Amino acid sequence: MAGGMAAFGVTMARAGKRFLSSLPVLLGVLVFTFLLMRVLPGDPAVFFASGPNAGKEEIEVIRKQMGLDKPVPEQLMLYLYDVGRGNLGRSMTTGQPVTTDLRARLPASLELTFAALLIALVSAVPLGVLAALRPGSIIDHGVRLFCALGVCVPTFVSGLLLIYVFYYLLGVAPDPTGRVDIFASLPPSRTGFLLIDFLLAGDIDGWWAAFRQLILPALSMALFVIAPLARITRASMLVSLGSDFIRTARSVGLPWWRVVVTYALRNAILPVITITGIVFSTMLGANVLVEKVFSWPGVASYALDALLSSDYAPVQGFVLLMASVFVIVNLVVDVLYGIADPRVTVG
Amino acid sequence: MSVTGSKRLLSVVAFAVFSLLAGSAQAQTRAETLRYVTGATVNTLDPNIPGSTREAFAVSLSTYDRLVSFGRKQLNGKWVFDLDTITGELAESFDVSPDGLKLTFHLRKDAKFQDGTPVSAEDVKWSLDRAVTAPVLGKAQLLTGSMTSPDQFKVVDPLTFEVTLPKPDKLALPNLATVYPIIINAKVAKEHATADDPWATAWLKEHTAGSGAYRIDMFKPGEQVIMTRNDTWNRGTTDKSASFKRIIVQSVPEPATRANLVERGDADIVIDLQASDVQSLEAKGKLKVISTPQYNAVTFVSMNNLIPPFDNVNVRRAVAFALPYDDMFKAALFGRGAPLFGATWADGRPASGAYPIPQPVKLDLEKARDYLKAAGLPDGFSTTFSFNVGQASTAEPMAALIKESLAKIGIKVDIQKLPDAQMSTQINEKKLPFFTEGIVAWLPSTDYFYRNFYTGNQRWNYSSIDNPELVAIAQEARFEPDKAKYEEDGRKLNAIHFNEIPQIPLWQPNQDAVMAPSIEGYTYQFHRQVDYRDLSRK
Repeated sequence: MAGGMAAFGVTMARAGKRFLSSLPVLLGVLVFTFLLMRVLPGDPAVFFASGPNAGKEEIEVIRKQMGLDKPVPEQLMLYLYDVGRGNLGRSMTTGQPVTTDLRARLPASLELTFAALLIALVSAVPLGVLAALRPGSIIDHGVRLFCALGVCVPTFVSGLLLIYVFYYLLGVAPDPTGRVDIFASLPPSRTGFLLIDFLLAGDIDGWWAAFRQLILPALSMALFVIAPLARITRASMLVSLGSDFIRTARSVGLPWWRVVVTYALRNAILPVITITGIVFSTMLGANVLVEKVFSWPGVASYALDALLSSDYAPVQGFVLLMASVFVIVNLVVDVLYGIADPRVTVG
Repeated sequence: MSVTGSKRLLSVVAFAVFSLLAGSAQAQTRAETLRYVTGATVNTLDPNIPGSTREAFAVSLSTYDRLVSFGRKQLNGKWVFDLDTITGELAESFDVSPDGLKLTFHLRKDAKFQDGTPVSAEDVKWSLDRAVTAPVLGKAQLLTGSMTSPDQFKVVDPLTFEVTLPKPDKLALPNLATVYPIIINAKVAKEHATADDPWATAWLKEHTAGSGAYRIDMFKPGEQVIMTRNDTWNRGTTDKSASFKRIIVQSVPEPATRANLVERGDADIVIDLQASDVQSLEAKGKLKVISTPQYNAVTFVSMNNLIPPFDNVNVRRAVAFALPYDDMFKAALFGRGAPLFGATWADGRPASGAYPIPQPVKLDLEKARDYLKAAGLPDGFSTTFSFNVGQASTAEPMAALIKESLAKIGIKVDIQKLPDAQMSTQINEKKLPFFTEGIVAWLPSTDYFYRNFYTGNQRWNYSSIDNPELVAIAQEARFEPDKAKYEEDGRKLNAIHFNEIPQIPLWQPNQDAVMAPSIEGYTYQFHRQVDYRDLSRK
C-alpha cells in the first residue's frame, strides 16, 4: 500500500514538473500564432466592413475596435497582458468575448470527442486483439479491410452518408442539427456536458434526446480513428503474445482469457495509450468537418470560421486552447503509463 | 402469458399512448413555430454594429420598428419589395413639403415599446441622432439620403417628428425604411450608456430595446436565436400582429443538411441552398420553391482598368466577347437567375435607363480576336482570375470555363482561389487584375449604382473606372426630379458603360426560397433575407 502511494506521489511530482516545463512552449505557441495571423495577407477590418455602404471610415472603426491601429509589437504586448489576465479578446464573428465562446463550445467538442473515442476504443481494441490472435486469418483480413475503409472515407463523407441513411431515408435519427433537439428545453448548465447535465437534472427524456443526437457524429468520427488504434493494438499484441512470459503462462495451463487479457493485453496496452492520447488531441482540433456537417457547436468549426475571415482573437485563443489540451493530455497519458506499467515511474 | 410478460406489454402500450399524446401536443406548438435554417449566423442584436451579418439584419427587422417600411408588389407573379411605395411603420402617416425639404412624420398613438412605454418623438430623435453620430453602420447609409447631422432632426411634439434636408433627395425617405435607422427605446438605452459609449452600442449588441413584432427569448451568437411574438404589435400590413408565435433562427452550416431538413419538414424555410439542391427539390414537387432574381444585385466579371493590359478598352471588349456566357450560366447557376448578356440593342442604343440591363454581348471569338488585334496584343497575354472561397460553388466552374474559353484567343489564365478576407483586402487595395465579385444595392436606382460602384478610388469601384462624364451625369441624376430626364440620364450612363466596358455584368442570381407548402406570404426583400413578419402558415 505504502509503495503504491509513493509511486503515485512520484508520478504526480513528475507530472507537475512536466507541466511547468511546458509553460514556455505555451508562450511560444501564443507568440507564434499571434505573429502568423498578422503575416497572413487578409485584413479582418476590410472583411468585416462588408455592409453595402461600408467605406474607409467603417474600416477604420473596426481596425480601432480590434486594436489593429497600433504597431504590432505594442499589439503583442497588450495581447500578452490581456491573456495574462484571462482575457483572450473579442471575436468579430460572434461578437462575443473569446473566453465566453470557448467556454460554451469546448464542452460540446469534448463530449463529442470523448464519445467518439469511447466508441473507437471499445471497437478497436477487441478488433486488434482478435486480429492478433489469428494473424493471417479471415478475421485478420476482415479487420484490415474495415480499418482501411474507415481511414479512406473522409469523416464528412461518412457523416453525410450516416445522415442520409439514418435521418433522411429511415428517419430513425433525430435531425442532425446540434447537441439537442431545437424544440427541447436545456437542462441548467452545470458541467456543460449535456449528458451529465441532463442526468444531474434528472431529465431522462432529455438525456435520451441528447444521446441520440450524439450517436451519429460520434460514430462518423470514431470510424476514422478505429484504424490506427486497431492496427497498433494488433501489432503490439503480436509482440506481446510472442514473448516468453506468455509461453510460460500458457505452459502452466492458465485459462486462455487470463493469458490474453491479464498478461498479453496489459503489456501491449502502453503504445495504445500513447496513440490514444495523440488521437484524442488530433480529434478535438480536427473534427471540424464533423462539426460542420452536424451543426455541432464546437470549437473547431468556430476556429475555422474565424480563420476564413481573418478574425485574429478567436484563432489565437483556439490555438492556445489546443496547446493546453495537448499538454494536459500528455500529462494524463503519463499518469496512465504509471498505472499500466509501474516501472515507468522509476525512470 | 406470464406476469412479467403482461407487465412489459402494459408498459409498452403506456409508452406508446404517452408518446402519441406528447407528439400531438408538440405538433400544435410546432405549427405555430417557424423554424428557419441558414448557413450564416446572427452575431449582434443591433444591426448598426460594424461587422453585423445579414442574418442579424433579419432579426433586427422583427425586434425593432422603423419609421416607415417598403410596400410590396408582384413581379412576374412573385412578391417583391416595392421601392416606390413607402408605408408607415411607427409613423401613422407622413407629409413631404412641396419643396421636398421637409419630411414630417406623425407617430402612431398606440405604438408601445416592448416594455410598455409609448413610443415618442424623443425616442425617434435619439435613435436617428445615434444613427448619424455614433460609430455605426447607419451613418454611411443615411449619408446616401442626405441625412448627416442631428440638427436635421426635430421633435415638434410628442407624436410629431420632422426631418429637414439640405436638398430635395429622392432617397431620404427610402433610407429611413432600410435596416439601420431602427427606433430604440431611448430611456432604456440611455440607462446603459457609459461615458465611453454614450450611444450604448455595447449593451444594445446583446440586448434589444425596441417596439418590434418579436422579442428575443434566446440569443446564442453563432448558433441560434429564438424569438416570441409581441402580441401588442400591430404594424403588420393589415394592422395585425405577426402570424407565427415563435421564430427559431438556427445556423446549420452544411447546405446538404439544410436541404434534408426542409425536405423532411423539420425546417420550414431556407433561402441559401445550393442551386443543384434547389433544382432537385423543385423537381420532386413536394415543397414550395419561390425563385426571385435578385433584381437589386449583380454578379460581375471585373477587370481593373488601371492594371495593364486591362487599361486598354479593346482588351476589355475582347474579354467581353470571349466569355462563354451560356455555359457559365448553366454550370454556375444551373440557369437559376436573370441573365445580363445576349441582348440586342436597337441601333446600338441602351434599351432603357434602368440598371442593370442585359448587355449586347455574347460569345463571339472572331470579334474577340479582332479586338485583341486592335489592342496590339494579337498573341494574347497572361493574367490571373481570382474568386473567393465563399463563392466557390458558383465561381469555380465559372473560372474553369473562362480559362478554357480565353485560351482560345491566346489569353492564358491562372485561377486563384482566395480566402474571403484576403479577397476583400486585395480588392480594397486594387491589386487584383481580373476577378469575379457581386454587388447589391438596398435602394436600387440607376444613379445610386453608378455613384457607388463606378465612382472614386474606393473598394466598391471594382473596375477602378474614373470617367468624369459618368460621374457628372450620375451626380446630376441623383437630384433630378423629372422622371423623363432621369430616364435619359440613365440611358446615357448605360451607353458609357457599354462603350467603356469597365466590367462585365453577368447575371442576377436567383434568391431561391424553399419552404414547406403550408408557408405563405414570402416576399423578396431589399436586404435579401426573410422578413419573418411576412410569413404565416395555412
